[in-house]
Amino acid sequence: MWKNYLKISFRNLQKRKLYTGINLLGLTIALVSFIAISLYIHHEWSYDRMYSDYERIYKLNQEFTSEGQNQLVGTSPSSLPITLREEFPEVEKATLVFDLSIFSSVMIDAGAGNQEEKRYAMVDENFLDVFDFQLLAGQKGKLWDEPNKLVVTEETADRLFGNVSNAVGKVIKVDGQEFEITGVMQNFPSNSHMDFDFLASFQTHRHGKNPQWSPSNYYNYVKLREGTDVVAFESKMAQMVEKYLGADQKEYGFQTAFYTQPIAAVHTGDPTLNRIKPGTDLKYLYIFGVVAILLIAIGIINYVNLATAEATERNKEVGLRKVMGADRFQLFGQFVSESFILTLGALLVSLLVIYLLAPFLVNLGQVPLSLDLLASPLGIGFLIALALLVGLLAGLYPSLILSGMEPIKALGNKIKMGGGAWVRKSLVVFQFFVSMGLLISTFVVKAQLDFMKEVNLGYSKERLVAVSYPYESRSQMPTIKAELIRSGAAIQVAQAGDMPIHIKAGYKMFPGGDNQSEFMITGYSVDTDLINTIDLELVAGENFSESDIKRSDLEDGTEEFPIILNEAAIRQMGWNSEEAIGKHVNLGYMQNSLIKGVVKDFYFNSLHHEVGPLAIFNDPADASVLLIKIPEGDPSKHLSTLAGIWAKLVPGRPFNPVFVDSAYNNLYQSEQNSSAVFTLFSGIAILLALMGLFGLVSYVALRRTREISIRKVLGATGRDVLGVLAIDFMKLLGVSAILAIGFGLWFAQMWLKGFANQTEVGVTPFLISIGLVFTLAILTIGYRSWKVFRLNPAKTLKSE
Amino acid sequence: MIELKNIDKYIESRFQRIFILKGVNLSIQEGEFITLMGPSGAGKSTLLNILGLLDEDYAGEYFFGERNILNMKEKERSNLHKSEFGYIFQAYHLIDELTVYENIETPLLYRNVSSAERKSIIAELLDRFKMVAKKDLFPAQLSGGQQQLVGIARAIAGRPRVLLADEPTGNLHSGQAKEIMEVFKELHAEGTTIIQATHARENADYGTRLINLVDGRIESDERI
Repeated sequence: MWKNYLKISFRNLQKRKLYTGINLLGLTIALVSFIAISLYIHHEWSYDRMYSDYERIYKLNQEFTSEGQNQLVGTSPSSLPITLREEFPEVEKATLVFDLSIFSSVMIDAGAGNQEEKRYAMVDENFLDVFDFQLLAGQKGKLWDEPNKLVVTEETADRLFGNVSNAVGKVIKVDGQEFEITGVMQNFPSNSHMDFDFLASFQTHRHGKNPQWSPSNYYNYVKLREGTDVVAFESKMAQMVEKYLGADQKEYGFQTAFYTQPIAAVHTGDPTLNRIKPGTDLKYLYIFGVVAILLIAIGIINYVNLATAEATERNKEVGLRKVMGADRFQLFGQFVSESFILTLGALLVSLLVIYLLAPFLVNLGQVPLSLDLLASPLGIGFLIALALLVGLLAGLYPSLILSGMEPIKALGNKIKMGGGAWVRKSLVVFQFFVSMGLLISTFVVKAQLDFMKEVNLGYSKERLVAVSYPYESRSQMPTIKAELIRSGAAIQVAQAGDMPIHIKAGYKMFPGGDNQSEFMITGYSVDTDLINTIDLELVAGENFSESDIKRSDLEDGTEEFPIILNEAAIRQMGWNSEEAIGKHVNLGYMQNSLIKGVVKDFYFNSLHHEVGPLAIFNDPADASVLLIKIPEGDPSKHLSTLAGIWAKLVPGRPFNPVFVDSAYNNLYQSEQNSSAVFTLFSGIAILLALMGLFGLVSYVALRRTREISIRKVLGATGRDVLGVLAIDFMKLLGVSAILAIGFGLWFAQMWLKGFANQTEVGVTPFLISIGLVFTLAILTIGYRSWKVFRLNPAKTLKSE
Repeated sequence: MIELKNIDKYIESRFQRIFILKGVNLSIQEGEFITLMGPSGAGKSTLLNILGLLDEDYAGEYFFGERNILNMKEKERSNLHKSEFGYIFQAYHLIDELTVYENIETPLLYRNVSSAERKSIIAELLDRFKMVAKKDLFPAQLSGGQQQLVGIARAIAGRPRVLLADEPTGNLHSGQAKEIMEVFKELHAEGTTIIQATHARENADYGTRLINLVDGRIESDERI
């Protein structure tokens, strides 16, 4: 029986080449998208689940409360893991990771001169007890037990020494200090939230032997014993805080609390909590998941629509089979087997396509797509379930319709357009609703991205490059700056603590006098040239002068620190710009700060955030970046001139310029990815929907060939015929458009909520999206109706 | 064997009922070869469909053997339909996608006949109708007469007791028609009950009983 079903199904599929082609292609595209997105979601979902007993491993975060303002931070003090190990029996293991890359890169000399390395961290000796990564060489317990010991990953060992066994025992220089390589560990998997090339012993750090409760710069992790009550553990940590920090808290009026975050929740958790690797917003995973389902739904709908539309053609076959004794169940089996064969075929093609596309997909999703996963029992089970589900969903409705036909009516060809026309219409509406909705969303995402890239930030980032310099060179910076300008390849040069695109340092501001409300303020340590180099606009007061700086260098207790505030800071204190000038405030350690000037607000963080209070102060000693404004003309020429001077004046540190505007654009990496992914998805959705439309129009055109021929004989033009065929579909698309506009409005609101500074969306995205889909639909219908129109009426009418 | 009592079949239109069959009473014995004649629209096909359980939308009573069809469960009716009736159509109605062999095989598949048995039944039929050489051809590659032979082979493959034929020779020229009618005669001689609808008087001569239908009524019913 099944053999017979398969045979008939194959022959039917072969006979209707157009439908089979559309269905096969459509299902393949839908399946490829679905499988690729599933792999991506699985990858993001699988983060940090590879360690044994990962359910018992937690990252320790900190909540810092001061004056009613609280702040969540993902880092904690170096005393924490030691104290936990010693005083908490429920703590099985605790370890510390100090990610140096958030401060600066290091220079590593493995025998071939200094190279800049960014993925460098320090860990304590318990690291591999908590995270059981594989150790390829070296002896556990002796890896980080003393200062100046270093473990590298396999890849790094290969890169620096050719192979793993060569690496152990070698001595390399890190920022001039000698380190012995004590081990080689596996590379960090792509789904670990840690990613380093070098792990040095934390013993090397000044807090390594002498842990402190301040600063809170370290990532700390604990592994709790089985059955530990996490809530009880957190409240025990509160007692510990009271014991060690109670006095400080009273004196300085702050409160701190440590709390746990399951390790598997780090990657998709709160994005404001700092972590080693940028995370993924769960929101995106949900959106991608929904889109994957929508795409496969469109593919299935194409099948359903074409199969029910051609039901008329198969009336006779169904009727005959019933007359010959087939019952409904047997016929149902036959039609469902057709959809299964097609789905299975599409699945096989999809796997081939995914195999071929894998390298490109990696770039798009920024994660490696694990094809091994698809070959694992889990993956095979997933693929089988997917094929069964898609096959059943595609085949169910058409099979019910076809097998339910009454034999006499079927044989007499008395059925008009196959049953369920309204179902088909709703499905078409749904497909185009999804296509238009996705396209509108794409334009919204893109509009916000363009807005963020092109908005006037309040300073000039054009032709501005940033170069970080080593701490030792800071005393020579005035000379270096002068030399760079003298070369003609730099117009302005300033020292700064950071690029202006994302200023991070947090300080506390005490306005002083009768204004007692302190607040958090971002601090920017710069030199006197910064204001001019990045073209900040002073709305009141003036820039730092040499005499100001001399006053701040007095060490007799009368020193006065000149600062420049932004308007947001002035507003916070309830002053206007003019009256703020000359007032004294306390900024962090600078007890006697004089407000010299007020700059117009500029964006010193990504546009996700409002412009907060900012204090600019003259402290070149705390700066680590040179901001260089280069002249017009070929930038690479200027940069090579600058590199030449740099090599002479700053030996041992390569000249690695970063264009500030491209660094700024990189702040929106995740939005850029979303935009690319949305563009791709909406393109696929539209393509699938148009393919379905093409099939449906072909069917309608075939059915109405005679009518069209008669109209032609009566004098209808090509455009009239197009109108006849198009009008019904245009009505459906109109309904889709209305629904898509509603969805688009909702999406725009939802998406823009994540940005403090939003673009005006306007009507353009809606008009373009709907117009585009309509145009493509009319072209599709037009192509098909033109083919019918060109038929010779004499022939088509004769055959009747 | 078959007993129809006061069968009415009508279509409701806006102002009146249009009767296709009206007050038809008919008794058919096993082994009869009945010919239904009458002008187009007299109700021949409708009567055949009702007899063959393809149409259940009528008033009146239908007994098959001792049993009233209308009192049967769906499943029983379906089994009766499968086991007792074979159908032959004017337009042959073979399945275009299937070969001669597969067309004949189809009703056997729906009757869950075992593979070995299917093979022997089909071999016998192909042999009988001299179609062995054509078993792998598709319907489109056959002449009309050959197609109808396949249609007959398919109809009798399940060994039905009643064969229903609606204008079986309507699309054939006289030579082919004669061949088909000879086959019917043979089948009748073997004991099959045959009911055919036809326009051609000469076909009736092969049968044992001639019924004339006019406007949905039986006008005459005679033995030949």
